[in-house]
Amino acid sequence: MDTQRFKVNIPTVTHEIIDGEAVIINLENGNYYSLSDVGSFIWGLFETGSSANEIRNQVLQTYQGDATDIDRSVRELLTQLQQENLIVPVNGTASDHTQPAPANNNDEKQSFNPPMLHKYSDMQELLLLDPIHDVDDAGWPKPVPDPPK
Amino acid sequence: MWTTQVGPSRFRIRRSKSLKTCPKLHMLTSRVVPANEDQASRSVDYFESVYDLFDSAQQVAGPVERGYLIGGFHVRLSFAGPALLSLTRALDHLAADDDSHPDLTICLWDSESTGQRMIARPWQEEDFLARGVIQGYNTDRIYTAFQHGSGAVSVLDRERNVAVFWAPDAKLPYWEYGSPLRSILHWWLLSRGLQLVHAAAVGNANGGVLIGGKGGSGKSTTALTCLESKLSYVGDDYTLLGLDSGSVVHSLYNSAKLNSDHVQRFPSLLPKIANPERLADEKALLFVNEYYPAKVATRLPVRAVLVPRVTGLPETSWKRVSVAITLAALAPSTIFQLPRAGNEALRFLAAFARHLPCFSLEVGTNLSTIPAAIERLLAEID
Repeated sequence: MDTQRFKVNIPTVTHEIIDGEAVIINLENGNYYSLSDVGSFIWGLFETGSSANEIRNQVLQTYQGDATDIDRSVRELLTQLQQENLIVPVNGTASDHTQPAPANNNDEKQSFNPPMLHKYSDMQELLLLDPIHDVDDAGWPKPVPDPPK
Repeated sequence: MWTTQVGPSRFRIRRSKSLKTCPKLHMLTSRVVPANEDQASRSVDYFESVYDLFDSAQQVAGPVERGYLIGGFHVRLSFAGPALLSLTRALDHLAADDDSHPDLTICLWDSESTGQRMIARPWQEEDFLARGVIQGYNTDRIYTAFQHGSGAVSVLDRERNVAVFWAPDAKLPYWEYGSPLRSILHWWLLSRGLQLVHAAAVGNANGGVLIGGKGGSGKSTTALTCLESKLSYVGDDYTLLGLDSGSVVHSLYNSAKLNSDHVQRFPSLLPKIANPERLADEKALLFVNEYYPAKVATRLPVRAVLVPRVTGLPETSWKRVSVAITLAALAPSTIFQLPRAGNEALRFLAAFARHLPCFSLEVGTNLSTIPAAIERLLAEID
């Protein structure tokens, strides 16, 4: 599991990282999401495909924090992103070798704050506006008449 | 306004025998990819069949032509009879007398007034996708969408720069008259470097502000308050963005749409509402150009992007927000309303917002403070 690589679920998902924040849009269900700071950093790693181990190591190299907390946060975020269908497994696995946290100078690292996936569903109605339709004689959808009041 | 009557033979379409020789068009979206040559051929055949029906309808009902300058491009609307002419009210501020060769020709017809039936749909029920996209009839070249609610079909041939809009009859929903031909214009203008966006825009000699946000966020309220101020009105719902010569907003529709409960806050607009008898079921529709033609600006350089937020406080103010917050206000509400919009729209909007200051416009209950705040903001940025 930790060596399974995941990537952004293209073309269901479109996304953009701008000024360190990720804006992620699911084109099929109308939900959209944002990730900032560590979350945006992690999201960027999915563009080329990354495993939980690879992400953990990248985060440890970049952020200062408890390795156990980081490991747990990465796994939780990865699970959330999968549940939201924003990332999908890719063929092939990463090396099973889990590198130890490099001994970088912690003063140069940013503090680790657990990533938060913010989800917005207020646009779903735009995709769901299409009324339940019936089909006319020529095969064209037509709105179902409102029931009598 | 054009008065020249141009017969249908002027742009009669001959069936193409050599699709392979056609120049490859810029890929507009990755969401719909031509599966194979059969699909490409089938899509072209469908377009040509629909066009032929328009041609027949126009011969019966008579040609009616109108010309517009949209985002700097000449767009000709060619009607089969007058039944759908009311669709032009939202575009009247862009009317152009120039009878030069149009960049895009859109052919419009309806079955009821012309007696010309539409071809039975050649696709299956499961091919109706979200946002009206028709699976199997969308390629790099042909764009096809069905408009739920109105029953209209839009189909564009990007290679010939000709589109057809068909509706069962002229009894279209108010929003079709408020923002006519939205899908066709979105598809074609994107190929010319212009992005249709769900955003309002107002401004003055210092430039304009783009006002993004979903329906009900305060876009229209903000834009309409400017009608009684020194600010110009570019649009209140859908506008066009360009990046070729800096960040520019072009006017698209001069139609303002307001929730019927909000319209009470604009007593001076009440007598100007185009659909007063239907406010129980429809938004109030106002064609700004018919009452405030001098207030309509067709193009402004954009100085800032605003995301309105109703605060409940009397005064209007602003505060800086991130580009990502702004993009989240602009992109989803744009993309989810436009068939085949996706990656390209998001990239475009990100590029547009990236180099502009972005603000939350804290909209006050005292409406006169809204344009005053925007004027101050534009002066400060300048």
